[in-house]
Amino acid sequence: MTHDLTTTPLEGPAAAHPYSGAATNTRVSPPPSPSTTARRTEHIIGLLALVGTAATVWLGIWVTPPDKVQGDLVRLVYIHPGVAWVALYLAFGLAAVSTLLYLWPRTRSLFWDRLAAAAVEVGVIFNICTLVSGSIWGKPTWGVWWAWDARLTSTAVLLVLFLGYMALRRVPAEPEVRARRSAFVALFAAIDIPIIHFSVDWWNTLHQGATVLNANLSPTIHGSMAWTLLLGFVALTLVFVWMLLVRYRIGAIEDWLAANELDLALAERQAEGVAASRVASDPGPAGGSPTDRVGVA
Amino acid sequence: MTTAPPAPAAPSDAGPDAGPPEGPRPAVVTRSHTIRYVVVGLVLVGVLVFLLVKGLGSALDFYLPADQAMAQKATLGDKTFNLEGVVAPGSIHATTEGVDFVVASGDVRLPVANTGSPPQLFQANIPVIAVGHFSGDSFVSDQILVKHSSTYIAEYPQRVTAPNGTKR
Repeated sequence: MTHDLTTTPLEGPAAAHPYSGAATNTRVSPPPSPSTTARRTEHIIGLLALVGTAATVWLGIWVTPPDKVQGDLVRLVYIHPGVAWVALYLAFGLAAVSTLLYLWPRTRSLFWDRLAAAAVEVGVIFNICTLVSGSIWGKPTWGVWWAWDARLTSTAVLLVLFLGYMALRRVPAEPEVRARRSAFVALFAAIDIPIIHFSVDWWNTLHQGATVLNANLSPTIHGSMAWTLLLGFVALTLVFVWMLLVRYRIGAIEDWLAANELDLALAERQAEGVAASRVASDPGPAGGSPTDRVGVA
Repeated sequence: MTTAPPAPAAPSDAGPDAGPPEGPRPAVVTRSHTIRYVVVGLVLVGVLVFLLVKGLGSALDFYLPADQAMAQKATLGDKTFNLEGVVAPGSIHATTEGVDFVVASGDVRLPVANTGSPPQLFQANIPVIAVGHFSGDSFVSDQILVKHSSTYIAEYPQRVTAPNGTKR
């Protein structure tokens, strides 16, 4: 990504801010700021996510009936599969697609790299929630917090791989170099996604098969339980979209800071120098030697 | 692995009040960053190897159905493995050490003597995994895992809510 450092600096009262390059010869583009429509969309999605999550919790705990076998333990089904859906399919799936779009010469843009990074970061949070909620559900139903079966192990492997992706992005490098390195890790990690999905079909696992995304695409959950499960999927999807938008916006600001780090530092120093020169030329009633202040420039 | 680029040199005409002289970032900072990246990388690789060895090192299949286990009984000997089967109705008997029951898989019915308490969902007609080994014509286990299905059905599908809010 390239930043246009010749952008007209901010004018008016904000001109004293060091980012503006005011009173200096350094011109720094203003930090990226979403449009009013974008911010409004973000707020609406966040509100819908909040309402949807609250409705899922209300239906899941107080309205839906207990399960014939699991009793009240079934109420975790309204959270755990939805969280896993977001982590595995939405977040890491989006990261894989964004990575491919970055690598494809015709669509190569650091936008896709930043989107992939945002999706991975949110996905890692949901991946951790998947493992934790599954473990909480597993203890009273299976009888153990953890089992080394293919579904659980491959999900934990995916988490470690994408933690590695995040760690790699912290290593200083040019944006294009970082994007290429990250793309390699993201695509390697994404191989694990279909393995996780089909693990319950390919091997004998303690983890049960899919309830919704099964081979027949025929959900094996009934009545209000099914509708609450669906609402949970929608609500958690909205939570993901909201978190993705916020993280992407933060990522854009981080990239802007990284790209303008030197210019910002120069602008700050030059602004300090100008201020010191003014003080030196007008020592004021307190007096003092001008040379005491010139040195800070 | 790339290290952080050195910071730009400080102006050479800094005055006496400019504080500590700035220059290229001290080597110790770069080295500590490099060490941090290496340590984080090694930890992640270590965890990954641990997961792969623990999860995939022995077998991708977490259990062996009882009918397949019986077919391989001579090969398995007294080796510990995970046996799977459905708990036969009427076969559950509490003992002083735990619980005895029979698992069914295909045409095979295999008695299991378990030491310890099974999970709370343990019941007739539910698939379970017993961790143990063959002992004569039965299976001796010290841990039971309940392998519940992915089907969810209301416990009282005909239940209605009365006008006063109570469930009937």
